[in-house]
Amino acid sequence: MKQVLEGSQAVAEAVRLARVDVISAYPITPQTHIVEYLSDFVADGTLRASFLKVESEHSALASLVGAASCGVRTFTSSSSQGLALMHEILHWSAGARLPIVMAEVNRALGPGWNIWADQLDSLAQRDTGWIQLYCEHGQEVLDTVLMAYRLAERVSLPVMVIMDAFFLSHTYEPVDVPDQERVDRFLPPFEPRFRLDRDDPVAFSPLVSPQYYMEIRHNAARAMDESVEQLAYIEEVFSEIFDRTYGPVEPFLCEDAEIILVTSGTVTGTARHVVRELRARGERVGLLKIKLFRPFPRDVIRRALGGTEKVAVIDRNCSFGIGGIFAQEVRAALCGLEGCPRVYGYIAGLGGRDVTTGLLEDIYDHTKNSEVPPEVSIWMGLQEVDHALKCP
Amino acid sequence: MNEEKTPPAVSPLLLARSHITTEGNKTGSWRFLRPRYEEKTPPCSVACPAGEDIGLIEELTNQGMFKEAWETILRENPFPGVCGSVCYHPCEAACNRGEFDEAIAISAIERFLADAARRNDVRPSLSRSAPRREKVAIVGGGPAGLSAAYFLTMLGYGCDVFDGMSEPGGVLRWGIPEFRLPLAILQRDIALIEAQGVRIQGGVQVSEALMRDMDGDYDAVFIACGYTRSRSLGIPGEDLDGIEDGRRFLHHIRLGNRPRLEGLQVIIGGGNTAIDVARTVRRLGGTPLIAYRRRLQDMPAFADEIAMARDEGIALKELVAPLAITPHGDGYILTLGQMHMTGEDDRGRAIVAPDEGAAEELAAAQVFTAIGEEAAQSWCIPPRGDGVVRLNAVVCDFRSGRACRVFGGDLTTDTKSVVDAVASGKEAAIALDILFREGLDAVEPGIRECLVGDGRFCSMEIYRGGTRCHRSSHVVPYDEINADYFQLSRRISQPRLLMEERVATFDAVDLKISASMAIREAERCFNCGLCNQCDNCYLFCPDLSIVRDTTPPGRHIDYDYCKGCGLCVAECPRNAMVLEEETDETGTGGEPGRR
Repeated sequence: MKQVLEGSQAVAEAVRLARVDVISAYPITPQTHIVEYLSDFVADGTLRASFLKVESEHSALASLVGAASCGVRTFTSSSSQGLALMHEILHWSAGARLPIVMAEVNRALGPGWNIWADQLDSLAQRDTGWIQLYCEHGQEVLDTVLMAYRLAERVSLPVMVIMDAFFLSHTYEPVDVPDQERVDRFLPPFEPRFRLDRDDPVAFSPLVSPQYYMEIRHNAARAMDESVEQLAYIEEVFSEIFDRTYGPVEPFLCEDAEIILVTSGTVTGTARHVVRELRARGERVGLLKIKLFRPFPRDVIRRALGGTEKVAVIDRNCSFGIGGIFAQEVRAALCGLEGCPRVYGYIAGLGGRDVTTGLLEDIYDHTKNSEVPPEVSIWMGLQEVDHALKCP
Repeated sequence: MNEEKTPPAVSPLLLARSHITTEGNKTGSWRFLRPRYEEKTPPCSVACPAGEDIGLIEELTNQGMFKEAWETILRENPFPGVCGSVCYHPCEAACNRGEFDEAIAISAIERFLADAARRNDVRPSLSRSAPRREKVAIVGGGPAGLSAAYFLTMLGYGCDVFDGMSEPGGVLRWGIPEFRLPLAILQRDIALIEAQGVRIQGGVQVSEALMRDMDGDYDAVFIACGYTRSRSLGIPGEDLDGIEDGRRFLHHIRLGNRPRLEGLQVIIGGGNTAIDVARTVRRLGGTPLIAYRRRLQDMPAFADEIAMARDEGIALKELVAPLAITPHGDGYILTLGQMHMTGEDDRGRAIVAPDEGAAEELAAAQVFTAIGEEAAQSWCIPPRGDGVVRLNAVVCDFRSGRACRVFGGDLTTDTKSVVDAVASGKEAAIALDILFREGLDAVEPGIRECLVGDGRFCSMEIYRGGTRCHRSSHVVPYDEINADYFQLSRRISQPRLLMEERVATFDAVDLKISASMAIREAERCFNCGLCNQCDNCYLFCPDLSIVRDTTPPGRHIDYDYCKGCGLCVAECPRNAMVLEEETDETGTGGEPGRR
């Protein structure tokens, strides 16, 4: 049934429909609404789950490591500094092959203290072994959470479903909330591949010597690689039941494009509008939205971008010293490809600043008018700063 | 739909697992600090002259174990009802909770426990030592004498109590007014003492001759006759007809007389008797005025009693001394001389001297004297000299040639109160038991061994080797309480009769508290130094090394795995644990070290 929901509410509805058993989370803006909705569900019996109240994000995830080891479906949610505090356990939960699902609301890291949208918090966790899926709108969030459980439980890896602060978490949109029966058909009860069993006591993840460490890491890396294929299959099943599909990347008017904009998250909606406008003016421009960031879908990206001349990657994040992270990954994916397109990196919209249609057109114009991409990312829309910000 | 389509295969899952039990890893071998359960002494129990195990009483009350809580009182004090009503509760002044928010209402809880036992006619189950051959005579059936008899009976001795009055109880029966101590409460406590096997003979006028007879019949005599004669003012007109002795007046009222009084009634004195007389006068219709030669803060009466009297609107004149009483119509003219302060004594009380010539005259319908009391007979007075041993609350005359004599009660205690009398009776019982079993030289060291904490008062439980023996004598101060674990909460407010009802009747002023109030109040108790099974150690131990069992204090540490991190000690809210350096003696790992 279609409802008008906040992005946070779409997450909560999906968690309810997934029949999650254990929720453990610590509130942080802009994630708080998610856990508030869920605690209401648990309190009023709509969702029969244990809701653990913990004293920190570190404990929130650590407690789910315990719960997931018992073979139950688990959920947590965090943002920004909270996610950073989870860092150690992010590695642990992936290495321990636990299918935990987290809704991560992209928020800037301080200082300067800022609660608005910025992707650096989740991208800084790209090497922890979590699958990362970036969402564009409320419906995608709901659907992706459901798919995330199926994917996580299939490949025994944790999944982060990522959404922009406020632009998505706090924006109301029409969302189709499927009925339980259809969700149950798509997402059967979790059948763990291993679990703590009192009749067969085992300690998981003990000391591993150099003799086997590489094999165990290789096994996890393989599972990560296989996730691309597994996700494709799961999306197929999903679309048969719900008639909606997203894909690891989503190309828009790319076929004959000379320049392709590359986006992720909510910027995509604005970019789609700009591409339509530019097309109407006769510009040969396309758009590629990247949803699956880990594992990075190299092949589909090569296929989507291989035939174009220039690629403009818009990053709502910056890794100091190298620039936009998506741009860096796209360059690496295309490297060595015959007729490799020129990749332009743009940094825009950090800390919740609007990425407007005008700004996107500027990016397009800059890309079109410049023959050679600069070695560093271009920061878009920088202003003269207030004198008061300057140190003497 | 096409769920039939085969999903892509997934690689086999490689996961490091260990089937070896982690119990093989004896992390206790890493330890260089060793935590240990060590219950300590709460300050309330040190301050209590009866040495009551207050921390435990509150814990049991909090758990709704009212009978066990009441029996815990009875192991140290045969007068829970009386003390719940009239004790000046020095325990509450020592309560660590007082430094946090407000002291526990220990006295109200004690009254509740005694009252609950009375209403439900509960009989205590108290252990008694094997019967002994020696017999002890008790002269004086007041709180000291009855306590001595009670504890001696507990220790296996046969006791006879001789009292001059028709009913036992001494000052409790004849001196303290009904509105402070209802007769039913006193009678219940005394009935339980008799039920323990104490024989009480009333109406026996003990003389020196009778004392000599006792030397033959008994192995020891405990003498606690108290003050039975009032001091005189030494002023003209004191012997006029109708000038009342306060103590005798209270006795008259306690016999059931209710004379109607009118007009100004002046009470001379500042002790508890003066306050009791004034409050009685108020209830009989008179207008009491207390005339005291020093200042209000110097009055020897207990602070709570003074406060109650002032609540009841009783007037007080400070720094006045009576000079003369003359008849005047139906009443008297009382001449009061003004006093002034010349300094302070070492306890901070005013030293006063008369102002020459400054005097006023008061027309009083009645004058009561209550300036102090003394022993009536010389043989009641504790002797001095060789062979006489002064302990804390008793004086023992071990001179040979006759039965040993122990003097106790008001004549030997520093503070004249019921609970100090109980302390005196208990100390006498323990001293005699040590004397009979081990001889004279063992008495003083033996008494020292059963003192509560670093205080002056004995515990019968410690003397008899009860569970209190396991505790260290270290008295827990407030700064050893982990206050983070407690929330501010108000002390219960003592329900009392309305003022109009108070001053019109002899009904008890302090009303009962409900069981839920008692439980709530007892829950506020820190249980300083005592393990109340809060389980903090259990919850915090990272090595699952806290093992619950049935030995005191209900748990022990598994030193095979305890790494000595000390979290349990740091998180104990009430300092019931210690952390010590590991020594060769305690050893590393292994089971020993459990005490």
